[in-house]
Amino acid sequence: MFSHAFEEIGKELQLPLARHETVSEMLIRDSEVAEVLRELGSGFANDVADVIKGGKPGNLYDAVVSSQFDADRLDYMQRDRLMTGVQSSGIDATWLLANLEIASVQIGADADKVGTVETLVLGRKAFHVAESYVLSLFQLYPNVYFHKATRAAEKVFSRLMLSLVPLVRDGDSARTGLPTNHPIVRFIREPTILANATALDDAVFWGAVPLMIESEDLLVAECARRLWERKLPKSVDVRQLLEQDEPPVHHADTEARQQRAARIALRCRAIVQAFEAKANERPASSPPVFIDQVRRPPYKRFQDSQSLLNQILIQSGDGVPRDMAEISPVVAGAETFEVCRVYITERDTESRSMLMNIMRTSVGEITHASP
Amino acid sequence: MPAHDPHQIAARFVREAGGQLVGRTRLQKVAYLTQLAGFGDDLDFEYRHYGPFSEDLATGMEIAAGLGMIKEEEKRAEWGGRYSVYQTTEQTPPAVDATRSAFVAAAAKIGAIELELAATAAFLFVTEGCDGSPGKDPWQRTAELKPDKAANGRLELAKLAYRGLAKLKTHQPLPAIA
Repeated sequence: MFSHAFEEIGKELQLPLARHETVSEMLIRDSEVAEVLRELGSGFANDVADVIKGGKPGNLYDAVVSSQFDADRLDYMQRDRLMTGVQSSGIDATWLLANLEIASVQIGADADKVGTVETLVLGRKAFHVAESYVLSLFQLYPNVYFHKATRAAEKVFSRLMLSLVPLVRDGDSARTGLPTNHPIVRFIREPTILANATALDDAVFWGAVPLMIESEDLLVAECARRLWERKLPKSVDVRQLLEQDEPPVHHADTEARQQRAARIALRCRAIVQAFEAKANERPASSPPVFIDQVRRPPYKRFQDSQSLLNQILIQSGDGVPRDMAEISPVVAGAETFEVCRVYITERDTESRSMLMNIMRTSVGEITHASP
Repeated sequence: MPAHDPHQIAARFVREAGGQLVGRTRLQKVAYLTQLAGFGDDLDFEYRHYGPFSEDLATGMEIAAGLGMIKEEEKRAEWGGRYSVYQTTEQTPPAVDATRSAFVAAAAKIGAIELELAATAAFLFVTEGCDGSPGKDPWQRTAELKPDKAANGRLELAKLAYRGLAKLKTHQPLPAIA
């Protein structure tokens, strides 16, 4: 059920089965899926579940499931492009798959070597298609995943669920508008039962929305209505306004661009913190506001959180696979896409004025000195 | 959300480590263990790929580098990967707590792989209840998650390093896992 947004809610409200990998793992280990997999070997179901659960590439098979070039990405990029009508971000998946090879690479942590491991690499002939893949995936973020309408809807969904769950947990499910045997109510009441988790999907949620519009809880009702009628709160793009206030310098070098990016990031943070503080002082009956801060690098450079297996490796002329970011100036030069928005409902002029005042008065030196 | 700005926290770690801190792995794991020892930065850590990782800390370090609060130099390791070396600048915030600095400096001297293993074991204790009871040994679980890194005696070295940190003066004791 809207898996990514629901997972964030699950983290906040401690609902482990809100995480789809957890549900997948349980199904693979212990359901009719496991019975089928066991036909291939008594431990095969567990082996598959371990790969799904891993979430990080520690070997070749893991890299197929979870890396910057994994099966899931190849699938959803094409599917999401089709379903949203986005004309950019096309990829040549056939050529990419045709040029997949297996090679041994060395792995380590910081300066320390660990050993070697086999992983997927792309042949040299697929270099430009791989470059296109990286940029195509990156552009899906501003165009689709981080689009203001997408994010506004996710924020409204999250607020609805964050309001709904406590009602059920507090024994107040009658106020939700949902019957007591509704799958959403059942899941909230008993969130560790697998069957309750698998009963949830997008259709169940959309079917519940007209009922929740009738909720006695005003916030649940409003959020449900906004989703049903697609009357999403309006975006004030804080970051965009700050970027206009401090336009990039022509021919700026990398250091200057990084400095500008750091200043804007700090200003965004300060504005959002000030706005949140003021918004929290308002009465509970005030219209809801929604903060959206998220970032997406075009390509995750090798850093602590990654293994070299997570990177897109290209066979080089000397037979040593190299990280895409090292040999592609286009990938190396692309900068992180950052979002800092506040979504405000259409009649909430007070919040809009408050935000604009904070932005006007927030201009000042970003000091380096510690407090 | 940390009480203080993540870029200040990130830059201060380099100061507390003695003016230089080698590697993003080291930064993340030192930060995690420092927080676990009660020196409180309120960073959110989650298990990301190879151990506890804070997105706020990583972003904070980018901002600190962008503002010139620390200098970051990327180098190529012998094994072919890249790693970062962070150094203080005139704009790096000062250390604020001598006890904390001593802990950070000691942790920063531990090898990156051993530090990662130790931080992971501690993380598993805290978040997954790997308390050493049968089937829940945090070090065994760490070795299962990171077999290549735990091999060749590195797990034992990690335990030894952890015991060394646990003996230092801290605001709260590190979990008793070694």
